[in-house]
Amino acid sequence: MFEVYKKEIKELLRDRKTLMFVVALPIFIFPMIFGVLGYFMVQAQIEADQEVHNYSILGTDLAKDFSEDIFYHKNFKLSKVDNGSRDNLISAVKNKDIDVGINIQRIKLSGNQNTYKTNIEIIFNNSSRISYISEKIRLIFVKYKEVVQRENLKFLGITKDNEQILILSPVTIEEVDTADLRESFGEKIGVLLPYLLIPLVLTGASYPAIDLGAGEKERGTLETLLLTPITRTQIVLGKFLTIFTASMTTSLITVGSMGLWIILAKWFVSIDYIIDAIRLIGINDLLLILILLMPLACIFSSIVLAISIYSKSFKEAQNYMGPLSMLVFVPLAISMMPNMELTLKTSIVPVLNVSIAIRELLKGTVDYNLVYLIVISTTGLALICLSFCVKWFKKEDVLFR
Amino acid sequence: MIEVAGLKKKFKLTKDHKKNKIDDIDPREDKDYFHSVRDVSFSCAKGEVLGLLGPNGAGKTTTLRMISTALKPDEGTITIAGNDIVKKPLIGRKSIGFLSGSTGLYGRLTVKENIEYFAKLHGMDKNDIASRCDELFTLLDMHKFVDKRAENLSTGMKQKANIARAVVHRPAVVVLDEPTTGLDIMTTQTVIEFIKGLKAQGTPVIFSTHHLDEVALLCDRVAVINEGISCFDGTVDEFKQAGKSDELNQAFMNILTEKHDV
Repeated sequence: MFEVYKKEIKELLRDRKTLMFVVALPIFIFPMIFGVLGYFMVQAQIEADQEVHNYSILGTDLAKDFSEDIFYHKNFKLSKVDNGSRDNLISAVKNKDIDVGINIQRIKLSGNQNTYKTNIEIIFNNSSRISYISEKIRLIFVKYKEVVQRENLKFLGITKDNEQILILSPVTIEEVDTADLRESFGEKIGVLLPYLLIPLVLTGASYPAIDLGAGEKERGTLETLLLTPITRTQIVLGKFLTIFTASMTTSLITVGSMGLWIILAKWFVSIDYIIDAIRLIGINDLLLILILLMPLACIFSSIVLAISIYSKSFKEAQNYMGPLSMLVFVPLAISMMPNMELTLKTSIVPVLNVSIAIRELLKGTVDYNLVYLIVISTTGLALICLSFCVKWFKKEDVLFR
Repeated sequence: MIEVAGLKKKFKLTKDHKKNKIDDIDPREDKDYFHSVRDVSFSCAKGEVLGLLGPNGAGKTTTLRMISTALKPDEGTITIAGNDIVKKPLIGRKSIGFLSGSTGLYGRLTVKENIEYFAKLHGMDKNDIASRCDELFTLLDMHKFVDKRAENLSTGMKQKANIARAVVHRPAVVVLDEPTTGLDIMTTQTVIEFIKGLKAQGTPVIFSTHHLDEVALLCDRVAVINEGISCFDGTVDEFKQAGKSDELNQAFMNILTEKHDV
């Protein structure tokens, strides 16, 4: 068995495609993708923040302070619209002559003929890009509204600051977050990490499996191997161990490369928050994450090897393995739903259980009894999958289809 | 000596096969199974070369796969030096060297690594592997390319490496399934010389082929299979007599036609 394992590992290490999937993808390509994505998101944010919007305004006399605040705001530039009317503002926005139209109207309050309120209509196209036009105007509006409210209260005879506060803010709300640094960080990274790690465990297993099963059939080496005086169980276990190693290596390299990139990033940007949070997680919980991934890698390795052995060619194996990723992504997506917690029920659902457990381990809120249950149930399933794979490998109609 | 007696092997028909089945075309098909080998027997003694003949689809490859223990017969026995290898396949695998025209090598390993790997799987020790490899590399004139990766070899080099791989463990019997198919004249000659060498060493060789000139050149005995049944087993002279012709091609045609008519 170990002779088969040693030889398969040697061959895999000489295969550029495998090295690409197992080493290059997690070390360089993922951080590069995240880096590029992050860069463009930050750039888009800065651009949106600095963007100057052309605006046109109707009814400036009805809200002079508001109109002036917008006029002097760094993100707005006044632009005239011919024959100023609400319809013309809408057409100008639609035609992209201006970015935003502001229509200030005075509306009579029902039941009282001499009382009016001011309505500010913001006309903009929300689908075009990230611009935060509406938010920027709203901030100016809130400031203006408070000034108007205070003036109105004065007009009604309520002049004292305390009295005004009683009317303007009779009730206030304050949030007290009991989540510590680790919990807060775990909630955020705990959604991302399983989504990255678990599919990688599958990807890390898939390519070597195709090469070791269907690939051997296609190249005519499998039959030769079957004719050596070692049992088919030893052959399949040797192949399984190789795939399992590749699968676990992929996830370990991913975690390792993330750590490395974090250390490198420390020199360029302030990420003390992340480093402090990682320190709080502790080595035991990180090891538990690794232990949770092992039976999962075992399940994936057995399934992809069984598929690969059944397939006549590389291409056929790839076709069969396509839908397998769905079986992983569906429970992963469910695990991300709000209020999805580790319970007795969720702890026996494969993939879902590991995904939630990783998140709760990172947050430091996990029930360790349930983690042990996951390890036991997933290991049990892994053994079932492996014994199926061994039996499958002994079937003549699978090997010689 | 190897003795094959009363071999039978059937394969379950797939749904697609059943769907596209044309009634009464092949007598080996029934409702659920394809009876690839129905009754095959022959023997090959020490120092003999047996040519296994038959038209395409006659059951030669299935028979050789059963002898090599890749497939398990439904019925029958295969005996090598008194051991029934159907019951003891691991003993069979130690005793047999198998080579076919489509046998591959591990492309990312060197020739030497390929051969050493199979030697290790056969339980040979380090020193024995080194001396046996050296012996084979000299015999097959392989020293120039033993450190090259198998994926970079020419067809001729690959077949030499395959030969070395097949006999590295000094098998008691060598089984060759159409070993010269698709090879050029030079490589074919290497295979022929290899078979001659085995014969000289007293190793029984069973090889299937469609080239009757190779049979004339190498074989002491001939076995013919048609539609999964043995229809001849004897010496080359007996083959010519049974086929009523001194020409091997004609004798082969006559034997097939005669059996088919019966």
